[in-house]
Amino acid sequence: MAASKNANTNIPDYEYTDVNTDIFHIDSFRTEWLNRLHPGDFSYQPGDQDSSDALFAEEMGISADTMAELKTVCSLDSLRCHPEDQPPDTDVVPPDPTLKTLIQRKKKQDYRDTRKISKNRHDLYADELERLTFGKKSETLDDMVPEGEILLNVNVYYPAIFEKFTHVRPHITVLMMGSHTLAELRDAICCVSDLQVCGEFSNTPDMAPDFISKDHFKSAFFYFEGVFYNDMRYPECQDTSITTIEWAKDRNFPTYTQAKMEDTRFVDLKIKVGFPYLYCHQGDCEHLVIITDVRLTHKDDCLDKKLYPLLTHKHRVSTQKCAVCHVYIVRWVTTNDRFAPSNPCLFCDKCFRMLHYDTEGNKLGEFQAFPYVDRGAFN
Amino acid sequence: MPRERPIYSDFFYDPLTEDVEELLARFQQSDSIRYEYFSAAWRQMGFSDVFIGIVSMAEQKRFSRVTLATAVKYFLPPYSYQIRVGGLYLMFGLYNTQLAVPPVQIRFALKDWDIIQKFLKDSVNSGHQDVVYIYHKLVAAKAIHFTAMPHFLSFLKLRKRKQKTVCAGFIGRTMAVQELFSADILEEVSNIESQYEKLKENTVAVRCEASMTQRDFTARLKDCMAEFLTWQQKTFSQAEADNKGNGGGGDDDDEEEEEDEDEEERDYKASSSRARLISSIKQKSYSNFQEAPKARRHRQPQKVKVESSSSGSEQHYESGRKRKPASLRARTWKSLGVTKDESRMQVWLLSAPEQNERVPVKRIKQTPPYKE
Ligand SMILES: [Zn+2]
Ligand SMILES: [Zn+2]
Repeated sequence: MAASKNANTNIPDYEYTDVNTDIFHIDSFRTEWLNRLHPGDFSYQPGDQDSSDALFAEEMGISADTMAELKTVCSLDSLRCHPEDQPPDTDVVPPDPTLKTLIQRKKKQDYRDTRKISKNRHDLYADELERLTFGKKSETLDDMVPEGEILLNVNVYYPAIFEKFTHVRPHITVLMMGSHTLAELRDAICCVSDLQVCGEFSNTPDMAPDFISKDHFKSAFFYFEGVFYNDMRYPECQDTSITTIEWAKDRNFPTYTQAKMEDTRFVDLKIKVGFPYLYCHQGDCEHLVIITDVRLTHKDDCLDKKLYPLLTHKHRVSTQKCAVCHVYIVRWVTTNDRFAPSNPCLFCDKCFRMLHYDTEGNKLGEFQAFPYVDRGAFN
Repeated sequence: MPRERPIYSDFFYDPLTEDVEELLARFQQSDSIRYEYFSAAWRQMGFSDVFIGIVSMAEQKRFSRVTLATAVKYFLPPYSYQIRVGGLYLMFGLYNTQLAVPPVQIRFALKDWDIIQKFLKDSVNSGHQDVVYIYHKLVAAKAIHFTAMPHFLSFLKLRKRKQKTVCAGFIGRTMAVQELFSADILEEVSNIESQYEKLKENTVAVRCEASMTQRDFTARLKDCMAEFLTWQQKTFSQAEADNKGNGGGGDDDDEEEEEDEDEEERDYKASSSRARLISSIKQKSYSNFQEAPKARRHRQPQKVKVESSSSGSEQHYESGRKRKPASLRARTWKSLGVTKDESRMQVWLLSAPEQNERVPVKRIKQTPPYKE
């Protein structure tokens, strides 16, 4: 760790073991890898065992006989633990396992069977995402992700809007190419607060607009390692980071700088892997952004540029159900509501109206009502 | 409802680590780095079954990632060369038997690349063809992701990490003091020292001023080491006795080898039979590493000539091959038994600190599950 720290700062090493790395420049990191590898190591050509074997024999000066024996000894058959004609059922843990891993897994499986717990829905969804894009080739060569390109795994975490109803912090994971700009990441982030309606509508529930879009507040910034990257693509965009920068200046903080997110590619960035950074939009909607992995592309990756940024994980938030009927998706949040079992309380549109208005649509009693957009609505 | 972390989302998984250590321990018992010993142990444990019983592909992928990370862990330092070879074979075994589609790749971090290349170079130079070949097969199969770090890192999203325990028996360190003792370093140091003192005496200006060195440095160092070795011997003499008995059919070979090394060892009489045992174990493994592939090449032991290799390894060739199947089998069966288990494990603990005493306990407990 600290003692064995690499002198070359573009070779990432831990700042805190197993937590995050030191700062490094992504394009230089890429160059370091490319300098060390043969083009064949990261090419998209499928591996050809025969020609590779021949090459190996030549390099090592091995005779054909010896090579043949090596091949036999090291064949995949050497790993077979069951007779070829009796393959095990891979879905079920065998009855009397001896491996510790299997003993544990069997316990879990037996428990699951008794409880009839069905498969994790989120896992199902992840399977689906994966299957759609694995090794996908582009139709034209131009759309092909180039060999030796960088891929970044970016987690964007959602803020807890109503702490009371949120037990886990959901996030999305997006796979970005090194040549993508931060603006492209921004456009890939879908956040309810971009759709959130502001305002109290208890007196005029019918007036509540369905959704409003991003269009009203185009300003946004990312923050990485002392630099605010502002979205300046539209004339109405404001530099929302300036407040923070001025504030920091007044207080003798280290100086922050600014750049444009649309002009900044990931390969241009200096970052720490595993370190939490910031994405801020709508003025006050803040998301943690963590780059969890940086690596070279591989032939099994989705190789069609057009499919990037690629969403590889979406936390399937269970949609909030109405506190009354427990059936429908929540559309309203009420506060200071004496009809409600909790404060705040969530209602579907139907139950909300039945409980809070008479048949003429007149408001009954005192409460505030806010339209609510459920995160689960995006699933 | 608070959601639990999905299973296998940590870097490592304890039951799997135990299985892997058991497999590597069996491989270590073979005193060889030949792939066929590894694959024999693999089949004996039915190791490819670790992937069985996972229905969800996402879970399967997470589990594959954990297994490969575990293998890579043993492939890198601080483990002994033999264990690192085991780690490489394990990467090969797990990569090729995983049930995830598409297969999960092995992660090589940039910072580990030079270490890996050094390992390969050493293996090539020593003529360990199967080691190099297995690595080449992985590369040819495009089994590797070239990454920034060994694991995915997500900062706050970490669960409390358990203290990493390193399996002491897998580390080459247990012989460190012994090696220092037997190497010519002490003599060298003492030569340098006397040379230095001579120069100092001849330089009037500094003769009285400079007093950084201790004249009896070598002697004191020697005392320290002797003291340590005595302690080591006393503490683990039981283990040694058991280990010798354990050798079973291999007893003759042991003697043979000890003879071979006598010459080198004559110098340090202070070191006991225990030290010689350690040394012979080590020599044995290295000699086996080198001879077998040559055998493949020539099929004639007498032709075996290794330019680069360490001294005296050629002679061990025959013993290395001779003891092969019976000994492995016998030892492995023994390791499955209750009684012998304890003694076998102590071999691991040659110079392990006390806290590692949990290892034998853990191993003994391993028997009951067989009937579960
Ligand atoms: Zn937001
Ligand atoms: Zn309802």
